[in-house]
Formats: sequence, C-alpha cells, structure tokens
Amino acid sequence: MRRAPAGGGILAGSLLLGGCGRDVQSVLAPGGIQAAQIADLAWLLFGFGTLVLAMVVAAVWLALRGSSRIRRILARENAVLTLGIAFPAVTLTLLLGYGVWLMRSHLDLPRDRNAVGIEVVGEQWWWRVTYSGAHGTPIASANEIRIPVGVPVGFKLRAADVIHSFWVPSLGGKVDMIPGRTTQLHLTAERPGIYRGQCAEYCGGPHALMAFEVMAMPAADYAAWLQRAAEPATTPVSEITQRGQSLFLATGCGACHAVRGTSATGTLGPDLTHIGARRSVGIDTLPLTRENLTRFITDGQHVKPGNLMPEFRVLQPPELDALVTYLLSLKVADRHG
Amino acid sequence: MRIETRRRWTAIIRFILFGLAAIALGGFLLAWSGLYNVAASRGHLAVTNAMLTFGMRSSVRTHALGITAPPLDSQDLSTLGAAHFHSGCAFCHGAPGVPISPIAESMLPSPPNLSTSMREWRDRELFWIVKNGLKYTGMPAWAAQQRDDEVWALVAFLRRLPALDAAAYRELALGGLSVPAQSGDEIATTEGTSGAVSACARCHGENRRGPNSRLVPVLHGQPREFLMAALEDYAHGRRASGIMQPLASDLSPEDRERVARYYAGLTPPAAPDLPPLNPESVERGRKLATSGDPAARIPGCMGCHNASSLEAYPRLAGQHAVYMVNRLRLWKGGLASRSRTDAIMAPIAKALNEQQIDDVSAYFSSLNAAGKLNR
Repeated sequence: MRRAPAGGGILAGSLLLGGCGRDVQSVLAPGGIQAAQIADLAWLLFGFGTLVLAMVVAAVWLALRGSSRIRRILARENAVLTLGIAFPAVTLTLLLGYGVWLMRSHLDLPRDRNAVGIEVVGEQWWWRVTYSGAHGTPIASANEIRIPVGVPVGFKLRAADVIHSFWVPSLGGKVDMIPGRTTQLHLTAERPGIYRGQCAEYCGGPHALMAFEVMAMPAADYAAWLQRAAEPATTPVSEITQRGQSLFLATGCGACHAVRGTSATGTLGPDLTHIGARRSVGIDTLPLTRENLTRFITDGQHVKPGNLMPEFRVLQPPELDALVTYLLSLKVADRHG
Repeated sequence: MRIETRRRWTAIIRFILFGLAAIALGGFLLAWSGLYNVAASRGHLAVTNAMLTFGMRSSVRTHALGITAPPLDSQDLSTLGAAHFHSGCAFCHGAPGVPISPIAESMLPSPPNLSTSMREWRDRELFWIVKNGLKYTGMPAWAAQQRDDEVWALVAFLRRLPALDAAAYRELALGGLSVPAQSGDEIATTEGTSGAVSACARCHGENRRGPNSRLVPVLHGQPREFLMAALEDYAHGRRASGIMQPLASDLSPEDRERVARYYAGLTPPAAPDLPPLNPESVERGRKLATSGDPAARIPGCMGCHNASSLEAYPRLAGQHAVYMVNRLRLWKGGLASRSRTDAIMAPIAKALNEQQIDDVSAYFSSLNAAGKLNR
C-alpha cells in the first residue's frame, strides 16, 4: 500500500480488496511505472470521493440539525448552483484533465532505443508470444511473458479470432485485442517479480482460464534468457526422451505444436520448444508437473473444458510417460550459469 | 334452476368417471385372468389384422413425410446394401435363392418375403421402416441410429432386389466370394456355414482384391493395432455402424485379433478403375494434407496419417475418395463416437468445409499405399 488510507471507507474498501489474495494481480499493488500512475489516480479518486461523501453527510446533518441561519443558507438557490453544479463540473474536469495527462504515455510505444518489443496475440484460449531476438529474428513462445526490469516494453497486441483483452493489473492498464487491428501497450516494470495477467474480455468457453504470468527479471538475466530462448530445443539423449520424441512426432503433436530443431512445425497451438521451462500447463490452469501435463494430454477437456486440444487417450501409460518425460526435458531456456 | 343444472352435470361427470374406472378394472381383470391368448400360433382375427395393417401403413406414411431421399442409383450404395441384407435381413425376409427360415416364418406377423413381393413403398417410407423398425412385428430398428447413410444403402439395394435372380443376388451379396462345398463331415461337425454370413471379404475384399463398394474402406495393409481397435470399438458400440456392430460383436476377441492380422498383412490392391480425378482438386488436397489450413484451425493430415505415425492411426494413401468423403461428412454432421481416435479426428473433420473434404479425399485416393502418386 502506497498511501495511508484517508478515511474509514477506504480502510474498509482496501480490506475487502485485500481479500483478492497475493499482490501479483492487484491494481493497488503496482509493480511498474504505469501501474503506479494508475494507483496514484485511483487513490486520488478514492480520497476525493471520500471528501465529497463527507461533505454530503455534513450537509444533510446541517440541514436537519443545524441552526436556522445555516439551514437558510443551505436552502438558497446559490448553494444549489455552487455545490450542485459548479463544484462537480470544475472538480470532475480537473480530475479528467489530470487523468489524461497522467496516462498520456500509456498507449504510445516507447520511443526509447533500448525499448523491448514483444508481440502478444490473443487466441482461443491461449497467448501467442513472440519476442524479438538478435537482429530482430522472431522467437516464438507462449503463455508466459518475460520482461526486463527498468526497461520500457512495448507490447503489440493482436487477436487471432475474437476480441480478447490484455490486462496485467500490477503492471498497467487494460487494452483490448481486436481482430484485424494492432493495439499497443507500454509497460515498465520497476521491481523484479511475477505478475499475473488475465484475459479481461469474455472470449468464449474457457475464458476464465485464459490467464498468464509476466516475469520481470533483471535486465542482464533477461538478455541471457532471451539468448537461450532463441536456441532450438534440447536434443534428447536418454533412451526414454528419445522414445518420447519419436512418440511426439508419431502421435501427430507436430501438426499443431512446434518444437524448434525437430520436424514439428505446427503453428495452430502453443510453441513447445521450451515447455519444460514454463511454470504451468494449460495456460496457467495447472502448475507444470508430470501429473498435470499427463492429465492435460489425456483429460484436457476436464482440466480446461472447451479448449481446442483433443484428448489423446490413444497413448498407453508407458508411452505417455515417455512423451511427458520428453516434454519436461525441453528446458534449454531454464539453464542457469 | 341453476342448482338443478349443476346436479345434472355432476351426475354426468360421475357417470363418466365411474365408466372409465369400470373399463380400466375390466381390462385389468381380463389381463389378470389370462383369458386373452397371446399365442403367435393363433394369429389375429381378420378384423384385428386389417386394422393393425391399416394403422401401420398410415403411421409409416405420415412419419416418413419429412424425409427427402438422396439419389439411390449408385452401384456403391446397392452393393453395400446387398452385403448387409444378406447377413442382417435374409434370415427373415428371404432373398433370391435364399428361402425364409421356417423359424422366422412362424413369427406373428410372418415377415413378408421380399424376394417375391414387396409392397409399393416410397423410398422415404422404406428408409423410415428400415431405420425405425415396426412395433409388435419383430422388425428391429437400425442398430446405429446415427448412420442414415447406411440405411440409404439398404434402401438402394431393396430398389434393385425385385430385378435380381439367384445368381445375380449371390454375386452382389457375396462379393464374388467362392464358398467351397463342404463335405458331409464338415457340415455335420463344424460351426462354419455355407452362407458366408460373417465373411469380411464380402465387402472388404481379400488378397489382391479390394472392396466391392467404394463406400467400404480398404483394410489391406492398415496397422494391426488400428484394425483391432476399430473391431473392438464396433463390438462394444463405441463406433456406430448398423453394419459393422453386429458382425464385430459376433467375433470372439481371438477372431478379431486373427482377422486384424490377416488384413494388416495384405498388400493393398491395385487401384480400381477410378473416375478421372481433377488435378486442381488433388493439388489443393495435397496442400491441405501437408500443411493444413491454419486460418481455419485445421492441422495437416500428414501429421497423423503418414507411414511412420502411431499404429493406432489409419493410413490413408490409396483409400477410396467416396469412402473418405462419406466418413468425413459423418463427422462433420456431428456423428457422436466414443472411440479414442475419433475424439481426435472429429473436431478436425468438423472444421473442414465441403470443398476441403472433396479435395483431401481426392488427394489421398490418388496416392497408392506407398504414398506415391498413382497416375
């Protein structure tokens, strides 16, 4: 919390909002410049709203219990004109002006030469993330976004099918992703950490499970990570991962998913080149574990009802085990040192 | 005056209620006493028979009103229908050269002999009867209610039936299968029957001979695991087919395994006389099969249907276009299936448009089973 609460109402309100859980997805716990501006504006509005409420309560109390002189003043036409029309018109205009001025930078892409550009495409029901690697070569990823701390990041937002909305409350405002258009968003994280985002426009079936995590990391770490992320997938060495890879290809996974460095080049579903380095399976639906990955492959319609991946129950348990072992081994991007 | 009217109405209502109760009680007592004779050997009174027949014909006519018959003159349809008629219908209805079983003949009503006489039903009425069956007659409904396409195949055959003699029927229904005469010993001591009812080859062909209807898939050289899963799915009702479900459930698991091995080991037959394929359609099909249609969320077919794919998946090279179009349309039309592979294929087939179905079927039918172009 950035400011001391200005009154009992704010205290009660923030206690209620505090129920939303960890600070990874809260407008009131900003982790970036833009989010801080929004939080400032929010607190200003809350404070001002409290002031107005106090004035109204006072006016009512005075109108009932005040001395006859005060009641006469309140009953004058002038009082209505000043407090009822002039006061809101002036204050709301000032607030609007302040808000527009404060947010002016949000929708422009940063002009900074060091700015990082990331493209995010909303798809039913996942996020296609494309980083720009060395010399601008695109690096395909999905469902997790890594950004450097302290560096402006320009997001180019698009939609593949229906309208989605990109919102990371702790980092900034909400911007719609509209089919056929590219919208932009400018975020700068101020402290490292994991921030949660959510599709904020109903986009059908499993919309509620279309969440993601933004990982803000120190700029040097980010650069090193990006370099690793550009590499092709790990070549399987153990017997089980080799079997997993040939099962991955024989089962037809590669018709929808790409694993760079193999013949799997599908573009319909999330890129799996470094899936083993991700934190979740099914787009933030479940933490990435062996059991959850297996469940998503064979029972995905229960895990995330309506998602577009068919359930692959054709695989027998030993085959599934090899396949999942292979997928979990795809984590070049996670290698440290 | 008003009170009097009311009394009269009360009396009438009471009379009706008591009357209904008396009828219900009388009916119950009749059933309870067992005086009514349910014996099939007794037959119906002539008047009952006339009334039941009249009601049945009217019911069929009315219920079939909304059905539109597709063109039924295709050889593929009537050949498939003939093969099923032989195993599913001839026992009760007879066929040219096949007498009605005396057991079936003793049913009430006794089934009409379709080889000698068939009422003048409309196509849509025949379809309705074959699909739904007839209450109180022993005529069963089609085992797979979702498979209208199969019912139409049978109707197409029924249209040809009156013109067939015994030899022509045998050729059509047995698919040119030669059934060796059995010795007295074999007839007396083995289970095999000369009717060849369960022979897969009647439809699917055998060594060096492909299916005799292009609506029937080529099984030659398909992976054993896939064939086995298909038979298991039919036998347990996970895959819908009024033709295959009864045949597959008749086979023991060991038989299924053996027959799956047999077809898996066959070399695919030479392509039959194909109508010339449209090269543009084949080329569009090739593109779709190799790289899919990402905009429509369709993955390339070759991802799962290539020579090194899972053994649980079928190989499509050399499959008849007519069969593939029919199968893809069934999925597109919402065929519900509980087979493991259908769960993967059905949503993809639903995403295909009509032209893509034609193109991709043309492409695979243009390949021989080694995956090379046929022409």
